[in-house]
Amino acid sequence: MLSLLLLVPLLGALAVGLWPGNADAVRIRRAAIALLVVQLLASLRVLLAFDPSLAGMQLQEGLAWLGSLGLEYRLAIDGLSLPLVLVNAALCLVAAIASRDVQARPRLYFGLLLVISGAVNGAFLADNLLLFFLFYELELIPLWLLIAVWGGANRAYAATKFLIFTAVSAVLILGAFLGLAFTTGSADFSLTPIAAGQLSMGSQVLLLGALLVGFGIKIPLFPFHTWLPDAHTEASTPVSVLLAGVLLKLGTYGLLRFGLGLFPEAWAELAPGLAIWAAVSVLYGSLAAIAQRDMKRMVAYSSVGHMGYVLLAAAAATPLSLLGAVFQMVSHGLISALLFLLVGAVYRATGTRDLEVLRGLLNPERGLPLTGSLMIVGVMASAGLPGMAGFISEFLVFRGSLTTFPLATLLSMVGSGLTAVYFLLLVNRAFFGRLAITAADPDSGVLDIRLPMVRIPDQLPCIALAGAVVLIGLWPAGLGRISEVATRGMALLPSLIATAPGGGAL
Amino acid sequence: MAHPPLLQRTVANPTADTTELQRRLLAGETLLADTADHRLEVVGVLESYGEVLDAYSINLIFQAEHQFLNPFPVFRFLDGDLNPAKIWRHLYHDRINFEYAEYCQKAMFWHGTGGLDAYLDSDAFLANCRTIINRKRRRDPLLALLHPLFPGFLVELIRSAATTHALGQFWRVMSDLFLDLARAERNGTVRSIEAIVEFIKAGLVAAAANPITYAVEIHGERQWVLPPQAQLTFLVDVAVPYVEAVFLRGMPFLGTVSFNAQVQQISPDQASFTYGALYADPLPTMGAGIPPSLLMQDMYRHLPEALHQWYRERNRGEGDVRVKICQSFQKAMFCVTNAAIRGTFPHALSSPHPAEQGANAAYAAAWATRLAKGRTDCLGPEA
Repeated sequence: MLSLLLLVPLLGALAVGLWPGNADAVRIRRAAIALLVVQLLASLRVLLAFDPSLAGMQLQEGLAWLGSLGLEYRLAIDGLSLPLVLVNAALCLVAAIASRDVQARPRLYFGLLLVISGAVNGAFLADNLLLFFLFYELELIPLWLLIAVWGGANRAYAATKFLIFTAVSAVLILGAFLGLAFTTGSADFSLTPIAAGQLSMGSQVLLLGALLVGFGIKIPLFPFHTWLPDAHTEASTPVSVLLAGVLLKLGTYGLLRFGLGLFPEAWAELAPGLAIWAAVSVLYGSLAAIAQRDMKRMVAYSSVGHMGYVLLAAAAATPLSLLGAVFQMVSHGLISALLFLLVGAVYRATGTRDLEVLRGLLNPERGLPLTGSLMIVGVMASAGLPGMAGFISEFLVFRGSLTTFPLATLLSMVGSGLTAVYFLLLVNRAFFGRLAITAADPDSGVLDIRLPMVRIPDQLPCIALAGAVVLIGLWPAGLGRISEVATRGMALLPSLIATAPGGGAL
Repeated sequence: MAHPPLLQRTVANPTADTTELQRRLLAGETLLADTADHRLEVVGVLESYGEVLDAYSINLIFQAEHQFLNPFPVFRFLDGDLNPAKIWRHLYHDRINFEYAEYCQKAMFWHGTGGLDAYLDSDAFLANCRTIINRKRRRDPLLALLHPLFPGFLVELIRSAATTHALGQFWRVMSDLFLDLARAERNGTVRSIEAIVEFIKAGLVAAAANPITYAVEIHGERQWVLPPQAQLTFLVDVAVPYVEAVFLRGMPFLGTVSFNAQVQQISPDQASFTYGALYADPLPTMGAGIPPSLLMQDMYRHLPEALHQWYRERNRGEGDVRVKICQSFQKAMFCVTNAAIRGTFPHALSSPHPAEQGANAAYAAAWATRLAKGRTDCLGPEA
């Protein structure tokens, strides 16, 4: 069943690329959307088959592949990966729907989109370190191409920067995995926690450090974040949706699954430092977002801040905070995707994202009132207003981490307040006041502004995402039920490992 | 991917500066460029405006005559017809927004720009008021109580009623004139912006000396509020103050350019106000039911089909139709102002005498200075 989540997008990508005849962009897009709908349905089937009361991996399936290398095709799912698989299915579909402007090389574009979708599924489902690494690598090149070919004016620079950073990230992760095999002497690359008896604390900290930097680049955490705003600025809207909504989650997922999952004891050692790192990242991302003029860069920096919450929650590693981390990954995925779609709609209509130029876009007759209203919903959710997904996840993270790391949690809460600051600046500048698309004085400038109307069908993905954000905010129990047992199990790892010398039996 | 900027901007009209406006006025040229689109917009919007003014005029005259000295005129917009269906339509807002007519009346009353207003402060008027109040108090205990407590209150209500009636009489003439203009355009006698301006000027000149009078009936007896002896006339005592108060000054309502008195954006000098129809922002800014959007809604209900179709084909069609109506309305109001200025030059434009030419030039310059601050970006051929 899980293999279907790989086969549909990857074989679909092959089919889209190789299908004979001269299909136009519209038909290829429709085919990609159909494939992604099938993928979403397959993901929902996994959800139905999933038993949330089981703590460990379930629905395992696999094949022996290269046994001598320790590379096995083994897929499994648990309460940590299932929500992310669902988010991936939903956002890839949204990205394909939002790709209506793609005219150049549509086969390649939608093929790459499907490859990314399949690779991300593979990374979330992999029950083998090398298999995870393969899928983690597999997603890099398509994304690099999506930025480099269909990006903005400065796309070559941004795409190369993205590639270099994430390639270094991949090398560090591979290094850690190989180092683990080398130091423990067992090359089975399974997801088995390491206990102090197997490996000295020094070696554990070293390997965990490599993973932290590797995944820290991907998340991204300060100071490894600089590729992200550039990549977002140059990427087209659907690619930004994927990047923020899905691909960054590979970093946090890796941190939880491999950082905390493989090295629970070393993790506990480093946790106070990680919490401070998280707080610094949150504050830096928020303060940098305040200083932005470009709406897209502002949303990109907000990602840096909001992904910091996940590190804080992971550092605290209490049952509540880890549940909060899952919530934060899901809600950030949905909210940032929504915000990027809306920024894209504004850019499509006005030709600019400059906050010094845009004003009054909420104007009911000549502006973008629905886009503006959804933007207000999105920023309220991002700022953590009650009733939205952002509130639940931030509350769980802060509540779960406060007793463990009070200072870092309080500093992160300041970052949450700063979210309200920069997003209110965005809404106030771009959406309130007299409609204007000019940097000049509105009283003397040209006032007859003619923006094209954004059609309601084009806004359906945004409306659906906003609906999901509110649904999670009002009914968090649904998501909580899926993940609670799994995150509680992860939180207990350090204590279990300490009482079970030799490890491996978990 | 690179998106082409889809934003279209209208280039600012270079004729907007004062000297160009003055030159046009003195040369007898029209302020509004003569294009087929402009003709359709101006005639069409004035036709719907004529229909709306007809309703406004009837209602204002009804209010002044039948709601006279009524401190709580709850049903004043119903023209005396109190059947439940009409009340329902009123509450459901399937109706003309008479509030806009009131706004114009209040603007005239508050600015008090000469003519009629001077008479409202005269001893003769106060004497009329005393007679009226004394008669009215006899059978009205509320007024009998109010008048000694607030001696200025009822007088002020009568002044307001007088302005209301005078504005009703003014709009009666203008409504007929604008509907005649639409008929003349259909007959083919009006084929250019120049002809439109001349048609309006001729109408204003013809009505210039019409007397403005107002009497109310109290307990079966007719009492003059604005008697014929006051010799108030259409052009000087009502039309000119109206243009000053409504076209130019207006009141700083939400929805006009300036909406923030707290940051000192509103001049303490009433005479330098620029919130009138010629300055109004066609885009409503975060507010509802505010002038001139009420007027735009009223005109929307009476748009001639040709103009409505023209709006549907442009920009967002019905989506921003009120903005487009306002833009057309401002073009039309520049034509009306143009006609009024032509009709009130101190001397003939063809006069060979340097002194008279100088007086005309000064008159044109004074107007041009005020108009240049208005929404002149609608005047060019490309607008």
